[in-house]
Amino acid sequence: MDKSKRLFLQGAGAILAGISLYQTRLATAREPQASKVKYALLHDETLCIGCDACTLACREANQVPADVTRLTMVRSGPFGEYPNRRYHFSRQSCQQCENAPCVTVCPTGAAYIDAQTGIVKVDDWKCVGCQYCIAACPYKVRFIHPVTRAADKCDFCADSRLQHGQQPACVSACPTKALIFGDISNQLAPITRLIKHNAVDRDKVSLGTRPKLFKIRAPSGEVIL
Amino acid sequence: MSPFHFDGLVWHWPIAIYLFLAGMSAGAIFFAILLKYFCLKQHAHHSSFVIAACIIAPLTIWAGLGILVIDLTKPLDFWKILVFYNPLSVMSLGVMVLLVFQLFMFAWIAIVFAVPLSAWLSTRLPLAERLLQQLTRYEAGITGLTMILSLALGAYTGFLLSALPGYPLLNNPVLPLLFLISGLSSGAAGALLLGVLLKGQADSREVKFIHKIEIPLILTELVMLFTFFAGLVLSGGQRQVAAWNALGPGFWGWVFWGGIIGLGLSLPLAMNLFMTASAQRRFSYVAATASMSLLGVLLLRHFILYTGQMTSL
Repeated sequence: MDKSKRLFLQGAGAILAGISLYQTRLATAREPQASKVKYALLHDETLCIGCDACTLACREANQVPADVTRLTMVRSGPFGEYPNRRYHFSRQSCQQCENAPCVTVCPTGAAYIDAQTGIVKVDDWKCVGCQYCIAACPYKVRFIHPVTRAADKCDFCADSRLQHGQQPACVSACPTKALIFGDISNQLAPITRLIKHNAVDRDKVSLGTRPKLFKIRAPSGEVIL
Repeated sequence: MSPFHFDGLVWHWPIAIYLFLAGMSAGAIFFAILLKYFCLKQHAHHSSFVIAACIIAPLTIWAGLGILVIDLTKPLDFWKILVFYNPLSVMSLGVMVLLVFQLFMFAWIAIVFAVPLSAWLSTRLPLAERLLQQLTRYEAGITGLTMILSLALGAYTGFLLSALPGYPLLNNPVLPLLFLISGLSSGAAGALLLGVLLKGQADSREVKFIHKIEIPLILTELVMLFTFFAGLVLSGGQRQVAAWNALGPGFWGWVFWGGIIGLGLSLPLAMNLFMTASAQRRFSYVAATASMSLLGVLLLRHFILYTGQMTSL
């Protein structure tokens, strides 16, 4: 009787100590570091052929159900006269804002910016589904995931691929290399050089959201009024 | 485009009803406080209108919160909002205001009914009676904080929507003030309607007191609505487009001009002025005016919520 009580106390103590150590390790893992990585994506619309390989790859890599999507290619046109007739393709997905409205409005902190990578992420467990983030996002890229019932969106494949050292699924799938992914805090990264040497654009910059989805626009070949 | 289903619509009518009920709760307590300290003094607990306001305030806030919880995609996880806070989130701040508001609202209601309540408690729950006596010692402080919290709650319903940067109509600094004023008038209307239904005298000094405040309140609301839309139109661009989409011909245009401006504001204003001028107030007049006011506020919440999401930047 006495011995089992002592064993129980020792066991419980060991488990508690283990849990608290694990918690502190988690807490330190979340802390921002000096060499902060800022992941960004560049979509070169002049190279894009609108094949939707990115959309399909995203769906497969992140197991996105059929009636929702993290990534849409918006097609407009046709513009111009034959033989210079063309369509225009624009990427619609999370812009990974540095000043993200979804993160500001989230009441539980389920929407947050990962300190390690600068990626806007969603904590499925903390999300209660108030949909405030969906209403607050000026880019309209958030949705309720039918399975988790939590808000969901593109996270640059942070959990599905990045942590295994792979590029985001859309980037790997693109046949024309129209998508370039990388760390813009690294001056030598290909994406940083491309952004510096091209006339890049970002959506709705006037809102002060500081998006990190950069775009090299294609000439539309027509005046749209 | 269907008025209740369109692209970009995120929040549906349950949110509008929640905003209506939260504003009404704040307004009911606000007017109960005014009635007690500026009109009835020590006799407040006898008044049907004070009783009505003290019934409405907790019921509406609970009904509103219930709707809010059911409207979550994970209703059973609602407790996470109470455990995790984000000080930058308007909704998170609103949850804090709601919790503290309820605390002070019950404390204040207990103080108003301290005399009958302590008589009832003295033989049954002497400990609770002693607690009530302690509470009444802090009446001034509790009343002041309840007043401030009711104003904060009323304004919060507007800040909740104005914090959305993607919708030019909602992202408007006048919205919290507009919702505060209309919320207060809905509280007054609710107290009047339930008050006369609880056999309160239609020609009593409480009704005259509330009507005296309601007239400038309605006029202020009209000015707020004008400023709200004039501001949008003068800002140009998508803000102007949003204003004309809301006010122009169509379902929501009818709701605004006929329902809100006509039935909800002009008619009650005219009837209040008529009742102030005429010798005696009648039950039917008071009840009909209050019902029109309530309808107007309910329509305003729906109108702003839906038209606000119709146009995005």
